[in-house]
Amino acid sequence: MKRLKFAKSKCIGCQLCAQACSAMHEGEYIPSKARINIESYYDKGGELKYKDSFCILCGICKKQCPVGAITLEEHIVVDHTICIGCGVCERACPKKVIRIRDEKSYICDTCDGDPACVKICPQNALTFE
Amino acid sequence: MTMLGYQNKVLRVDLTKKGATTEPLRMDWAEKYIGSKGLAIKYLYEELKPGIDPLSPDNKLLLMTGPMTGTPIPCSGKLSISAKSPATGTINDCSIGGHSALQIKYAGYDAIIFDGALKEPGYLLIEDGNVQFKDASELWGKGSHEAEATLAEKYGHDYSILSIGPAGENLVTMACINSDYYRQAGRGGIGAVMGSKKLKAIVIKGTGGVKIPNIVENTKKITEILREDTLQEDNTFIYDYGTTAFLEACSDGGILPSKNFSDATDENWTKYNGDVLLEKRVGKRGCGSCGLGCGNFLKFENATVEGPEYESIAVAGPNAGIDDPEAIVKFNQIADDMGLDTISAGDTINFAMEMTEKGVHDFGIRFGDKVKYLEYLVLMAKREGVGADLALGVKKLTEKYGGEDYALHVKGLEYPQYEPRGSWGMSLAYAVSDRGACHMRAYAPNEEVFAASIPPYTAEGKGEMVYNLGVFNAVKFSLCICDFWATLSYERMAELMTLITGREWTEQEMKEVGARVLNIARAFNQREGFDRKDDTIPKRLVNEALQSGAAAGQKIPQEAFEDMLDQYYAVLGWDKNGMIPDDMICKL
Repeated sequence: MKRLKFAKSKCIGCQLCAQACSAMHEGEYIPSKARINIESYYDKGGELKYKDSFCILCGICKKQCPVGAITLEEHIVVDHTICIGCGVCERACPKKVIRIRDEKSYICDTCDGDPACVKICPQNALTFE
Repeated sequence: MTMLGYQNKVLRVDLTKKGATTEPLRMDWAEKYIGSKGLAIKYLYEELKPGIDPLSPDNKLLLMTGPMTGTPIPCSGKLSISAKSPATGTINDCSIGGHSALQIKYAGYDAIIFDGALKEPGYLLIEDGNVQFKDASELWGKGSHEAEATLAEKYGHDYSILSIGPAGENLVTMACINSDYYRQAGRGGIGAVMGSKKLKAIVIKGTGGVKIPNIVENTKKITEILREDTLQEDNTFIYDYGTTAFLEACSDGGILPSKNFSDATDENWTKYNGDVLLEKRVGKRGCGSCGLGCGNFLKFENATVEGPEYESIAVAGPNAGIDDPEAIVKFNQIADDMGLDTISAGDTINFAMEMTEKGVHDFGIRFGDKVKYLEYLVLMAKREGVGADLALGVKKLTEKYGGEDYALHVKGLEYPQYEPRGSWGMSLAYAVSDRGACHMRAYAPNEEVFAASIPPYTAEGKGEMVYNLGVFNAVKFSLCICDFWATLSYERMAELMTLITGREWTEQEMKEVGARVLNIARAFNQREGFDRKDDTIPKRLVNEALQSGAAAGQKIPQEAFEDMLDQYYAVLGWDKNGMIPDDMICKL
């Protein structure tokens, strides 16, 4: 199974990944709703740090989901007709990338195996392998 | 009328009354000036009364995005911060990197306009539609870095922060505005305008989005453009070297200034060049929506900076007679923290060094004194001791102490670090730039030195060359695209505008926007009383020939300079005095 991988040494903090993700899934450039959140910042100006929230397909959300709304084969699929928006998956996610909105869970679906974030990443910090 | 790409909303902040309102963006102006630089100047032209004191509440501070801000158009993350300049009295649009432009757009605004002034130091917190005035008494007097760190700690690293240092608070007319610690709206005292409004910082976070037509298809097209155009070798050197690469190019070309522009070479330049500096690189960072990532995060034992950029290396290195790379990096770090423009602050100390060496006036500092160089920055920001004088800048120092023969400025804005005697067109570019001596308006060395496509030591053809370079940059900066996308073309800009707005734009329209922006900026300055007499060349470039380097023996005869001015005015359709005819102003 192919997964997203992130090499922070290559990341320039441009956030194009979140823009491309939200374009594909939300129909606008809206990083706050993206299913990936990678950014860098200078902590007190003295250290360059990274926030790297992206789905690693660990499947913990699927295992924890109390109503069986989440399936994982090649990628995650959330069945919104079953999802009750309880937030168990959001709290369990080790990468803190799951968002609950309007009582539904939104999780990276790797753009059905062809992730837009990887395609746009200008320094190839994100790969799918 | 609306257009996709825009939010069609302006946030107007009245600092005197502590109130905020929103209104539609003037889309009729946006059609003609697009955004960022051009649209900011149009707003200021329409809204500022002529003759106002730039440090009074009558001045306005504009944060202007463009239609591409917040989209994945490569290199589109820059924000225009504009006001009337307290250094020059001209229009002053600055361009700052970082992530603040994107946050403004995601918060739902194309622009934020600050009017009036706070009575006590404060900062503004903007979270989407929620605007709060906050007390900044604890932050006032603090360095810009400490202020940003304190606010980031309080609100989180996903907020963008724009702040000033002590220089801005003390109304030093070479004060800058910082963001992401190491990105600046640097020139023309824009930080003093913010300081005059007692606004220590702007803290902003947006959670909304930007809409464009056919977003799935167009995002794929933008990704292709990023990969095939932006990320080609002619541009990606900026990732590998940053602007340190220009040091070698300028040294080879004979345009690297040394000792306050007394010559244009430095035999020690390899002591502080990119090879040396980048050995200390510990990280890379770019702006929001960038593809290239020019920022080099360096750590020396006692100095940390994202940079230093070419301008800062040259001004605090060869032009100061200093060859210690750590001192140059420390200069950059202190200037950023104090909120001082490295170019103007460095140039002013360099001028003081020459004044001292020549015995004209003793400022207590000579070329090469790297210890005092750093101390003087702090004194300037605080206007203490000798810093009270130096904070005046080169032009006002000549009025007080003389030294005009080696004072390098135009309209009171100190010279950037490209020596025009090796690139004659640059003397014209500095002279006619809309905010005094600025290297970002028409970058002549690219044609005259680096590409060597136009002979450098002649006036011939320079009016048209500077016009062409100026129109191109004026539209590029109105699209809010960064200079480092060097392979950008008019055709590409029109294509990007079409992808974002959904209406067909042409190359011809792009050129018309560029020319219109040059004219509206000139019209602003003309209304303030500027004309040919103010489009000047410093005496040193006319009277003294360079002694060494590729341009040894070169100086620029006054007649040649006047010829270049004549040509430039003629191309634009301005009169001999550099004035725009009334009928042209009416069409703007």
